[in-house]
Amino acid sequence: MSEENWIEVGSTDSIEEEDLIRFDHQDKTFCVYRLTDGFYATDGICTHEAVHLEDGLVMDDEIECPMHQGIFNIKSGEALSPPACEDLKTYPVKVDNDKIFIKID
Amino acid sequence: MKNNIIILGGGQAGIYAAREIRQNDTESNIKILSEENLLPYERPPLSKDFLLDKKNEDDLYFHSIEVLKNENIDFENVLINKVDFEHKKLFSKNEDVYNYDSLLISTGSDNKKLSLDNNLNDDIYYLRNLEEAKIIKEKVSDKNKITIIGGGFIGLEIASSLSQLQKKVTVIEIGNQLMGRIIPKQIADLVQNTHIEQGNEIILNKQIFKIIKKNGIYEILLNDNSIIETDFVIAGIGSTPSVKLFENTNLKLDNGIVTNQFCETSIKDVYAAGDVCNFYHPFYERNMRLESYQHAQNHGICAGKNIAGVKTEYTSIPWMWSDQFNLNLQLTGICYDYDEIIARGNDINNGVIYFFLKNKIIKGACGLGIAGKVGRDIRITSKLTEKNTIVDKQILSDQNQKLNKLIQKQ
Ligand SMILES: Cc1cc2nc3c(=O)[nH]c(=O)nc-3n(C[C@H](O)[C@H](O)[C@H](O)COP(=O)(O)OP(=O)(O)OC[C@H]3O[C@@H](n4cnc5c(N)ncnc54)[C@H](O)[C@@H]3O)c2cc1C
Ligand code: FES
Repeated sequence: MSEENWIEVGSTDSIEEEDLIRFDHQDKTFCVYRLTDGFYATDGICTHEAVHLEDGLVMDDEIECPMHQGIFNIKSGEALSPPACEDLKTYPVKVDNDKIFIKID
Repeated sequence: MKNNIIILGGGQAGIYAAREIRQNDTESNIKILSEENLLPYERPPLSKDFLLDKKNEDDLYFHSIEVLKNENIDFENVLINKVDFEHKKLFSKNEDVYNYDSLLISTGSDNKKLSLDNNLNDDIYYLRNLEEAKIIKEKVSDKNKITIIGGGFIGLEIASSLSQLQKKVTVIEIGNQLMGRIIPKQIADLVQNTHIEQGNEIILNKQIFKIIKKNGIYEILLNDNSIIETDFVIAGIGSTPSVKLFENTNLKLDNGIVTNQFCETSIKDVYAAGDVCNFYHPFYERNMRLESYQHAQNHGICAGKNIAGVKTEYTSIPWMWSDQFNLNLQLTGICYDYDEIIARGNDINNGVIYFFLKNKIIKGACGLGIAGKVGRDIRITSKLTEKNTIVDKQILSDQNQKLNKLIQKQ
């Protein structure tokens, strides 16, 4: 993995546990989550209709879309409940010195 | 044991039931009988993205035929027009016979029709299925002034879509507010303002007295003697459960097929799910009928479990949505039996929600906001409702405080 693609998102304490923040980079939106076992990142827009998942509810390992309750697994991106049927893209995350980085390809 | 399981009605509840049965029962034959010659598809986009050309037919199907084949679920396009519950048989128009050991009825609902005393009944268009959506889309393409009779969800969603297609839209509603049967007035008024801002005309408290056709133009006479001239008329005046087939049988009907909390009807081995049911809800300790996406899906899944022998109560707290213009409206629980209302927010850009409480316990909420703005809080309300929660009203009313705290505390 080349180092240049790791983008700094913010400090680890900027996200509460079982919650997420939205992160915009260039023309893309991502969601970065803090789950009980670490940090994860996915695309920030639902695959069903163009709605920001930042307003969704994080429950266990799942993010529920705020528009029609489509559900995705945060770790794998898998679409678990309709009307969402297309998976959500996920991104690698690392924490370095209390800072969160995501790797955008 | 290998059974013959028939699902009558290939809509949302039917397909979810079929797949759930297969999850729990790999042996039985499962056959969906559907009047529509289409695999099960989503209806919500018909009044929205399908009319707007943002989604096409292929985007609407729940699953491809391969998924059904892989799961060994048969799908047959046939209209059933006779049932014999005693001998466990269904009959098609051509007298084909279908034998079942277990039957799920998921025939959905039918649109109520206006009854006009002249020959114009065929000039009024309705929207329930893909065929009708295609016809409306095609017919309105060269029309300008469109009138929608009925200010319920489907009528308003069509009004929103047609307005976005630059049509001049008038909505005529008999009641004193939009979506009056279900939605609290506070939210209905916000929806109404948006329609008006977008150029739609909303007429409340008016009844249709007569419709006449003159040189291809319709004149709609209202009970105050005013006349609306229009090129095309669509009616969305509510629906009734599709139970005609069972009217002369001993299946218990009362505003739909009466079922208990296990989706069982009054006849052994006959189940029902979705729009067609008046089902017992153990949380509310009464029967109710719902017409919503989430209900059709969850009720179908619950029926599937019970048919496969996994005894399961249906306990979902009601939830539904409607999308109009760039707004998303959501409702959960019961918003008409309350002694206190708490408002959260006052700007639809950030979301406005009204919570309904009784004896300090949260019973439901209805919210409206730019796409997605109210979803999380409405979802949290469903969870709080389910647990009969006495809520901290200060947190509910303060948009700066996240409601997540309320569910985490439990
Ligand atoms: C235009 C429109 C927009 C909607 N928008 C929303 C929305 O935004 N949000 C929301 O929550 N809900 C919405 N809904 C409601 C939701 O789509 C329904 O509640 C849901 O489809 C009900 O599922 P069902 O399986 O009970 O019935 P249906 O999906 O209606 O399926 C019933 C099927 O049974 C077939 N059938 C009936 N009788 C027979 C027979 N004798 N023989 C063979 N087949 C038969 C019918 O042809 C039909 O295909 C909308 C509905 C419509 C029509
Ligand atoms: S926009 Fe996310 S489920 Fe519809």
